[in-house]
Amino acid sequence: MTEHLPALVFLTPLATAISMPVAGHRRPALCRPIALIAICCMTVLSVASLWSVSVHGEIRYSFSGWLPPIGIEWLADSLAATMVTVVSGLGVLCLLFADGLGDRPLGGRAVPYYTMVLLLVAGLSGAIYAGDLFNIFVFLEVVSLSAYALVAVPGGRALVSAFRYLLMGALGTAFYLLGVGYFYAATGALNIADLSQRLPGLLDSKAVMGGLIFMFIGLAIKMALMPLHGWLPDAYSDAPASTVPLLAGLVTKISLLVWARILYWVMQPSADGGTLTIFALVTTFGILASVAGACLALRQRELKRMFAYGGISHVGLVLIGVGQANETGLSGAMYYLLNDAVMQCSLFVLAGFLALRYGASTLDELGRAHVRNPWAIVTFVAVGLGMVGLPPTGGFFGKLRILLGTLEADNNIAAAAVVLTTLITLGYFAQVFEKLVRAGSDSASAHQPETPWPLRATMAALVAAIVGLGIWNDQVVGLLVDATAPLGM
Amino acid sequence: MIESPFGSVIVRRTASLLVSLVQLFALYVLFFGQYGPGGGFVAGVMIAASLVFGLLVFGENSATAQRATRLLAGDGVGLLLFVAVGGLCLIGGGEFLNYSQAPIPGLDSAARRYLGILLTQVGVALDVAVAAVSIVYSLSRSVAAGKTDA
Repeated sequence: MTEHLPALVFLTPLATAISMPVAGHRRPALCRPIALIAICCMTVLSVASLWSVSVHGEIRYSFSGWLPPIGIEWLADSLAATMVTVVSGLGVLCLLFADGLGDRPLGGRAVPYYTMVLLLVAGLSGAIYAGDLFNIFVFLEVVSLSAYALVAVPGGRALVSAFRYLLMGALGTAFYLLGVGYFYAATGALNIADLSQRLPGLLDSKAVMGGLIFMFIGLAIKMALMPLHGWLPDAYSDAPASTVPLLAGLVTKISLLVWARILYWVMQPSADGGTLTIFALVTTFGILASVAGACLALRQRELKRMFAYGGISHVGLVLIGVGQANETGLSGAMYYLLNDAVMQCSLFVLAGFLALRYGASTLDELGRAHVRNPWAIVTFVAVGLGMVGLPPTGGFFGKLRILLGTLEADNNIAAAAVVLTTLITLGYFAQVFEKLVRAGSDSASAHQPETPWPLRATMAALVAAIVGLGIWNDQVVGLLVDATAPLGM
Repeated sequence: MIESPFGSVIVRRTASLLVSLVQLFALYVLFFGQYGPGGGFVAGVMIAASLVFGLLVFGENSATAQRATRLLAGDGVGLLLFVAVGGLCLIGGGEFLNYSQAPIPGLDSAARRYLGILLTQVGVALDVAVAAVSIVYSLSRSVAAGKTDA
């Protein structure tokens, strides 16, 4: 039974999504509980598959019984299983958060909205599991199309941002597909394991190098790497508050994961020195994005935009880890990716909460709002510690491993960039913290409404995840190292 | 709102003949798809084309248009059929979409594969048809909205 778990994890949200129009036709109010239950089931299944993978080793699932390279294969190694667990867990929390936030009611649009949310989560799990480059493209497209629609939900200005996101995103997937085409032309294979065997002799081929560059550009647009990040801040600040945590926490991270898969599982850096140029390129862009993103975040006065630029700078950090071509850097980057997903999600949960409850969407408004909500303040402290990178949060251990990876590769500039980013991040979080806890008259706090339980549960779970990932960092990193073991680095 | 700008007798007579012929041929392509060129996607496009054709010629209140509107309610049903067949194979103990494992009594492996592929193709055809018709509908709606604005 356990060998079917990857398919079941994906099929649960997919089947619910496509039966949503039938289920919610008469009573749109049913959509939210149905979606919540579906993603809860998915979480249970993904935890089960994580357990199965950590005990019995990786699962390779061949759809319709056709074996790869002819058939479509799903690869559930411990990296994929961990990532899917985080994705589905965050999906549950985001839906709970939307429940408690009481955002603008969706009315008749509840059916398409929840269909899109479920398709997004299904697409994410598909992109994580997919064992060949073309299916990764398909699921990236499923994720992106749902994300465009979700950004556009409030209408008005969000439509412009969503359209811009759509244009950039379509360009990104087109570039990626072009790269996949080059690879297919050069090798005649799409399956990752198959490609990794055929590529080593072909590394001088211009088609392979060109394909790799095209895939990098395409995925860089999708992950909002520094010079190509233009769509992200607008899309995140105009999207509905209840949706942004889902997008910020998960969508850009998936492209990073795919890029790591291509660099390590397809290219296999230890096999040959020919791929080292691309690693140097990735490191350079990572350095640029992490420092410049953090500097831009420092300049922002609006909370959501500041957090969005913070996310952009963290994409750079992950890329620095990925670009070191050693096991420490890669496992550190993947571990940091998990943490970053949780932290971005919490940041936008917090931003949405502050904006809707206290009307505070800029730093100055936050200073005047006299937030005396213990849940929000504790969450902020935990996320702040994680983003800056202080123990006992997962952010610290992730950054530490990335730093160790850069030192192992004798890449002092990258190490300096990691430290510099940490300092600048401390700068902008100190700004927000100062405004958040600024002493004011307590008269305003007397008639503040109580926080509803779904919000409290969401924030508590997010804090627990941030700290828990840090406390059990050995076990989580161990899982990720297991996944990189077949690479022989 | 789609009005009927092509009201001439010749167009109407031809269309009423062609619509049913195209639909018949779509069914042929759907069932023949396993042995030759064709299959669910092509059949779905042909069904949609016949419905859109009828919609354009006879206007929105005609029988063809009613049929097209009813088809829109089937949004997602095709995909559901696809997943249901795949899920059936999972229940039977095989991989997702491994038709030979579908627990249908009284059929040998080859017949199960035949039935499984046919059913998923019907699902694909339905979904493609619904998608194409709904694109036409949403375009006609936005054209109508533009007219009332002006």
